[in-house]
Amino acid sequence: MSAVTPDLTPDAAAAAARATAAASASATAAPATLAASVTPDTAASARPRDPYAEQAPAPGIRFLHHLNPLAKFAAPLPVMLALIFTRGLAIPTAFIVLALALLVIGARLSGRALAVLLLGVPVAIAVLGLSFGLWVDPERISGAGAAASVVIFEIGDWQFTLAAYLVGLATALRIAALLMLSLIAGLTTSGPELVRALVQNLRVPYRIGYTALAALRFVPRFGHELEVIRAAHRVRGTDAGRGPIAAVRRTIGTAIPLLASAIRHAERVALAMDARAFGAHATRTERTISRWRVRDTVFVVAFWAVSVAIYWWALQAGLGGVTSDRTEVGL
Amino acid sequence: MTAPLIALDAVSIRHDGAERSTPSGVSFEVRPGEVVLLLGPSGCGKSTLALALDGLIPHAVPAALEGMVRVAGLDSAGHTVAELSEHVAMVFQDPDAQVVTGTLLDEVCFGPENQLVPAAEVLERAERALKLVGLWERRADNPDVLSGGGRQRLAVACALALAAPVLVLDEPTANLDPAGIDEVYAVLRDLASERDHAIVLVEHNLDAAVDIVDRVIVLDAAGRLVIDGPAREVLTHRAEQLLELGVWLPVSTLAALRLRDAGVVLDPLPLSPSELAAALDAVDVLPSPAIAVDPSAATSAPAITVRDCSVRRGGRRGPVVVDGVDLDVASGDFLAIVGTNGAGKTTLLQAIAGVIPSPKGSVDVLGIDPSRADARTRARQIGFVFQNPEHQFVAHTVAEELELGLRLQGVDEEARRLEVDRMLARFDLTEHRDRHPFLLSGGQKRRLSVGTALVAGAPVLALDEPTFGQDRARASELLDILSGLNAEGTTVLVVTHDLQLVADHATHVAVMRDGRLLGVGPTAEVLAGPLIEAAGLRHPPLARATRGLASHPEWHAVTRMSQLPVARQAAA
Repeated sequence: MSAVTPDLTPDAAAAAARATAAASASATAAPATLAASVTPDTAASARPRDPYAEQAPAPGIRFLHHLNPLAKFAAPLPVMLALIFTRGLAIPTAFIVLALALLVIGARLSGRALAVLLLGVPVAIAVLGLSFGLWVDPERISGAGAAASVVIFEIGDWQFTLAAYLVGLATALRIAALLMLSLIAGLTTSGPELVRALVQNLRVPYRIGYTALAALRFVPRFGHELEVIRAAHRVRGTDAGRGPIAAVRRTIGTAIPLLASAIRHAERVALAMDARAFGAHATRTERTISRWRVRDTVFVVAFWAVSVAIYWWALQAGLGGVTSDRTEVGL
Repeated sequence: MTAPLIALDAVSIRHDGAERSTPSGVSFEVRPGEVVLLLGPSGCGKSTLALALDGLIPHAVPAALEGMVRVAGLDSAGHTVAELSEHVAMVFQDPDAQVVTGTLLDEVCFGPENQLVPAAEVLERAERALKLVGLWERRADNPDVLSGGGRQRLAVACALALAAPVLVLDEPTANLDPAGIDEVYAVLRDLASERDHAIVLVEHNLDAAVDIVDRVIVLDAAGRLVIDGPAREVLTHRAEQLLELGVWLPVSTLAALRLRDAGVVLDPLPLSPSELAAALDAVDVLPSPAIAVDPSAATSAPAITVRDCSVRRGGRRGPVVVDGVDLDVASGDFLAIVGTNGAGKTTLLQAIAGVIPSPKGSVDVLGIDPSRADARTRARQIGFVFQNPEHQFVAHTVAEELELGLRLQGVDEEARRLEVDRMLARFDLTEHRDRHPFLLSGGQKRRLSVGTALVAGAPVLALDEPTFGQDRARASELLDILSGLNAEGTTVLVVTHDLQLVADHATHVAVMRDGRLLGVGPTAEVLAGPLIEAAGLRHPPLARATRGLASHPEWHAVTRMSQLPVARQAAA
């Protein structure tokens, strides 16, 4: 281990690192994450590119990956609020199409994710729409016009009308639209990116941001541990008994060992973080700078403009309404 | 001499709620470039002392510190852990509980970033540290994909990146398999030979640590400092005193001490297998070893039959982790299943015990198929003890915990009470019968979990890595209990990494690699044959010493302590 020769300047260090990375990648056919450390847009920027980013840089067309995470949250947020108070089919549908278009063009998606988005979402909307429709009180839509008299099927006295289905469908579409809009950020942002943006751009204290990030690592661990505990309790024979009471007792039984182990684990992680100077200063060194660029502003403003246009068009054409009445079921 | 990096002056530490201080009144200094090993019996406060060296005690752990800890001249009580972290870096026992970020590189940068080191220097330090531990090529990986040994090397790199002159390691290999232990010690050996860092090591695995340390500090059971001196001198000249204190010595030294009782004096005492081998070869005449004829050679009825058992993890499309295993375990055997990480040992054991489903007809335990039997039938035939005893506890008191298994069998109240009393006495838990199982000590928890597995009268007991994360004294105590149960007729199956414990206790060994069973046989035969190496394992220390003996071929089969020619009562 005598071949440790750290370079002295940051540029040289970065260059050397890049060279090592490229060499190792070509030698061992390692994933492209190491080799492709220079992308066109960052090569143009003034600061030296941090070659250690955890994500492989996306190609330029996948613009969502090049935006500040906060922009991806800020743009759809007002629409998501407005959608809660929106009635009708047209507006949610328009936003679902918009979000899908943005994701298909701007996000790097696996074939499987793409299939889920393009095929799974419509199916989910149809099914959700049907199940919501079943719960609609027929009294409330009796005045909804022609659609109320179109019976899709009936069981005994009870009729499932087109109007009921449309009301259910509108609810399903709203939920789907909310989901799709949140996926704009969700599918294109990594946890560290979001924390960096929150800490650097939104001035969230880093102690909170990075602790949350560390806590995120607990989730899969606890999932695995819960499996082991369940297996251990099965072996003890305590999974005997059916019904809700036995289920509650089982849950409490597994919760105690899980909690005990979770607390112990959290204490250990806390000690390890303390020992590495976490929380020593009011700020910490940021190796990767999270910037709010012109493109972020452009994205947010453009998104808002399109959103306003959609609402204006739909309300003009009478294709929906906005109401704060939570019991309102009209189209 | 140079100024001390760490100076302790009459340090006593009492954990909140503890009755006495351990350590108690300890004073010593650590100077640049020294490699110090901190020894002592279980509960003497070695790990507590390690936490005090960088200020976690008194700042982060609820404990009262008396006396003075000076780190680079700074009083630890008056400075934050963060300030002290520039002078002392820590590596903890649990490799899982030290990871904060998503990639190796971010992880190593985490410490210096917190110290507000400029970004360029952070990267420089990270590169140097990761190269030193041999993980630089994997810097973009998620720490989760590393092995235990890899994650512990990462923890060492994270400590190095703090650029502190002192490195404190608290039981860094207790949770690792032998391959991981070797990896970590290869790194520590490099660090120790460079002399850039002072290293304070708390470690019970002396076989691994002995060749890198210069100085040994020994605490007694009450936490007082009793010995502070050069490592080799202390371990060779005061071995008997260390043994009396309850400190575990290297296996080779223990073997030499037993030989000394039998009249074979090895001087100086050997500390490693190669030294023991050299010392034995230098002796002209050795008494013949006590190699007993295997008592289980007499054919007894098979307790467990495994035929063409294959198990996939995570459903039908998951990877095959146990692949076409055939295995017979005779009633009354003590079988150890060994292999490297990922060899499928635990999965095989779980399939045998019915914890996970096995293919129909592939496993037979005393006439039942455990993965298809109901819990009640299964509990009468085979008990399973998980790695972490807490996972299995479901009741509020120790007695209820034992009673539960009997209640499941429909035993009436009077018989239950008698049986619970018997089990409490058998596992030395009578005085704890009304305590909550979670409040027991580690060793008591382990005994209780064995008790709950056996209470329904199961003649077969299966244990998954029962010695994981424990020191050798406690591991040996548990293995003694298992040997006792085995002598009473219980068939014992155990998955473990500790081959010396296997050599000392198991009657049979099954060796696995990549999901396949390479072979199974009586312990002495397996340890003498090629299977251990074929599985990618290393022989246990005593076998390593005796295998290569040039002048005493009759000693080649000596693998366990009890085979050494020693008076019977001393070997017990």
